[in-house]
Order: sequence, then C-alpha cells, then structure tokens
Amino acid sequence: MRLTDIAKVVRSKNAGPTVLTLDLLFNDEAGFRLACESDSLKPDAIARLYAQPVEKIQVLAYPPALAIKVVLPRRIVSGDPGDSDVYGAQQHGPLLGIEL
Amino acid sequence: MKSAIARLREEVATGGGLKPLRVMAASGQLGYGIPDAAFNAGLARKPHLIGADMGSIDPGPYYLGAGKMAQSETMVRVDLAKCLRGARQLGIPLLVGTAGSAGAAPHLAQTLDMVRAIAREENLHFRLASISADMPRDTVKRAIRAKRVVPLGEIGELTETDVDHATHLVGQMGIEAFQRALELGADVVIAGRACDSAVFAAVPATLGYPLGPTLHMSKIIECCSLCCTPGGRDTVIGTLEGDSFVIDSMNPTRHASPMSVAAHSLYEQADPYAVREPEGTLHTRDSRYEAVDEHRTRVAGSRWEPATQLTIKIEGAMRVGERAVLLCGSADPRVIANIKSITANVEKIVRELTPPRPDKPYQIFWRVYGIDAVFPWATPPDPLPREIFIMCECIADTAEEAKAVATVTKQYLLHHGFPGRLSTAGNTAFPFTPPEVAAATAYRFNVYHVMDVDALEPFFPVHMEDL
Repeated sequence: MRLTDIAKVVRSKNAGPTVLTLDLLFNDEAGFRLACESDSLKPDAIARLYAQPVEKIQVLAYPPALAIKVVLPRRIVSGDPGDSDVYGAQQHGPLLGIEL
Repeated sequence: MKSAIARLREEVATGGGLKPLRVMAASGQLGYGIPDAAFNAGLARKPHLIGADMGSIDPGPYYLGAGKMAQSETMVRVDLAKCLRGARQLGIPLLVGTAGSAGAAPHLAQTLDMVRAIAREENLHFRLASISADMPRDTVKRAIRAKRVVPLGEIGELTETDVDHATHLVGQMGIEAFQRALELGADVVIAGRACDSAVFAAVPATLGYPLGPTLHMSKIIECCSLCCTPGGRDTVIGTLEGDSFVIDSMNPTRHASPMSVAAHSLYEQADPYAVREPEGTLHTRDSRYEAVDEHRTRVAGSRWEPATQLTIKIEGAMRVGERAVLLCGSADPRVIANIKSITANVEKIVRELTPPRPDKPYQIFWRVYGIDAVFPWATPPDPLPREIFIMCECIADTAEEAKAVATVTKQYLLHHGFPGRLSTAGNTAFPFTPPEVAAATAYRFNVYHVMDVDALEPFFPVHMEDL
C-alpha cells in the first residue's frame, strides 16, 4: 500500500531556519497504526530518502492527531546562498512514493 | 481613567474564580489582509482583547537583514487600522507582536509611524506602548565569553564577529515584556520581535488565568483559522474557562475539530509535546481534545512548567552580497538532456570572461526547474520533462558585478554549442527582456541561538506615549 493511499496530509515545513519537519496525518486509526509499524517510515529509511545520517532523524508518533512527525536538519540554513526552499514547504516529495 | 488591564481585572473578577475570557486572534500575519466577515463576527462576540502576530523568521533572512517589511505598506495600514478601530470601539487592549515582519528597530519604527498616522487620521486616542527587541551587542558578546549562548540546530557556535556582522540582532520577548506594558497602562502594545504566543497570552497571564491552558490556546490561535478544517486565515476566538479552553472559528465554514486543533500542535514545531518559551515550557502530552459541537473544540490538561533558567532566542542576519538572477526556459529535448553539462561549461566560460575578485569572489547557483531545482533528487526524471525553467543566480560584492555575470551568462547560455545541437539560433527562451534582474541584497542568518539570561526585563524596554 502506498502512503498516499492512507494519508490525508503529507507536508513539510521549517521549524526555525535550521530544522525541517515532515508531518503525516492519517484518515483513521487503522492507517495510523499501519504507518507506525511500517519499516518504510523508520529513521533509517527516512535517512536514505533525505541523504542524512540516521542519528539526525527523529520519527515521532502523535496519536491525538493520528499523525507521525519526522524531524531532521535542513541541508542548508533557510535562505543561505544556494538554498532552494526558504520555507521548506516543498521537501515532502520523496515521501509521496513510499510503499508501506 | 483606569487602564485597560485594570478595567479587565474588574470585569473578569468574580467572588471565587475568573469569568471566561475571550481572546480574539485577528490575524496570523498582519498585513496580508484580514477577511471582514470573520473579523466582524469576532468583534460581535465582545472579546476581552485583540491580538495579532505580524512577523516570523519563516520568510528568510532578507527582512531582518535589510530592516524591511515583507508585507506591502498599503496592506499593513489597512489591517492595522481595522484592528485599531475594532479595539478602540470595544475599549479593549490590542497587542501586536513582531512588528514589521522581523521586529528590529526599523521595523518597529515604521509600524509605530503607521499607528500614529492612523490614530491622527481617524481621531483615535489611546496609550501606546512600544517594546523594542534589539539585543545590546556588548551583552551578547559577554554571554558568548561566559559560554551562555548555544546554537539552535546546525548553525555553528556564535562568535563575536557574527555579532558584529549582523546588520540587525533581535531577541524574542515572551509574556513578561507585554505584561510590563499592560501594567504601565497600555491600550495598544506594538512589540518588536516576540514569541507569537506571548501576544495572546500576556493579558490572560496578567489577569491570573492558568498558564498551561493560556499558552496552549495562544499557540493554537496565533495562526487564526489555520487550526480548522478546512484551514484558513480568518479570525478565531479562544475562550479560557477554568482549566480548559475552547477554540471557536469566526468563519462558519471553517470548523475547529479535535483532530484539526490537535494537528495544529504539530505545525512548525519540532516537538509537539513541549514548546519552549522564554519563561518556561508548555507541555501538551496530557492534553485532551474534545468536540463541544461540530464547530468548536475544547482542550484540557495542558501544563506549564516555569523555567529554572531564563533564556532568550536571538536572531541575526548579515549581508552576503548583491544578487542578480537570469530567468529563461527551454523546450528543446537536446538542451534539456544536456543541461547539466551545458550549464557547467557556460559557467566555466563566464568565470574566464569575468574573473572573480580573489578577495571577494562571486558565487553562481544554477537551478533547473523540471529536473532538480526544488529537491536534490538522486536521479533525473524519466522521461525528461518537455520544458524546463532555468534560473542562474549570481551573488557578488556589487550589484554591477552581479549584473555583469548574469548578462554574460545569458549570452553564452543562449549561444552555447554542444555535441548534437540542432537549435543553432539559441538554446533558451526569454519571456521578457532584460532577462537578468537585480534581486536586491542577499543576506543570511548568522545568528540563531539561545542565550541564558538572569533577567528578561533589561532586554525589552517599554516606551509609552499618549495619542
């Protein structure tokens, strides 16, 4: 099953200029549980997608919103020369292809 | 005449506890337009205060570095006038945080000038408090030497040179500074760089409402109806009642559901369970979200833990150079297939023709939209896109040098010969000319750190004036 089949929100945004957060919100409890258990959303899988060391990836389940939050460093401080996404709002692309 | 906060104290006081307190969040970012219907519906509920956030670090380093507003001045005036009229009509406090986008001295001054002009034109009279947030550089340097400054994320240790290089250096004030302004009798508070939650939390905190629900509610309403489903930018009202609060959207088509409100705790936060403020930490691990009806949600169980060490988040931006960009596209499959080598070869020629100065070399950044400009994909798209957009950015010490590089790049990119080329009259399409555009001064954040302090008050002086 694809992540996009069961997620109602897949978004990315800065949490300050040095940190990127990815939020996955699910339609129902079953989808949320499935995603929480999937290897595709474990820190090592995210680390490969975002070319970051695994120890810099945090994956956190947030049951009140049926959500999974991923926190990782930005590749470059927001707005530094060479940045491509000041708000970090378009860094969720690699998540859209995930199979759970 | 009694101050605004003294009037509120009398109004909410009962024999035992406190009456429900209605906090109206007028705008998630003042200056982008406040929808009238929800704003007027909010005023009709007779809120006890109006708050509006006006800035953020999100839009990048330019605004802080340059001392300029991100919003259009015209729109800021419209929104400010709307909030001032509403607050004066009801005789309630208006609090605005992070004036002028980034909350440094020039931003605050420009916003205050607008407030004074609006008051004059509309014959409004009130006590205006302004709170500046510019950090004294000597104090910050002493803190560096005392090892009381730490980086927030991967930005490196702060140096005294960074402190000197930042064109503006601000600290984020918390509720403490707003509380002082209110106790001095302010009807309207215009603050420099501030925590967005403090704008909404200062009045309830001063009146004695519990800080857990107060801060959590403030954190949710600071973006207005973004916490609703569907999300929007309309006015919301948060009502503090005992140990809980209720979120109520003033747009009847945007509903605050338990799920949408809980989800907002995730937004732009690294940790949804703990939000650090200058005076303490908001804990939401035990928060419960319950529907009051289809449109409103009640939140209970949020907890506040006072800090053992006071801190100030400090932000600074420094000039990097002057920016020029070249904008063009291509619809030629052979140009698209070879774009990486074409741009690399063109850049080599440009660097020979316009040699970088050894002391201050310019930088060139290529972005090929359609291939990997937004995200650094490991592999190119398959199949390749039919068209691409090419942006070549140059940051140089002077605007003239940046323009020279962009202009030479244009000519050599247009006419670059490469193996297999068919379109020998030109590789690129320009939607308009000149295709090279001066793009203002480039800045970067060189300060994004947390500083331990012994007291908050000296960093955020309050200035009062009667209008």
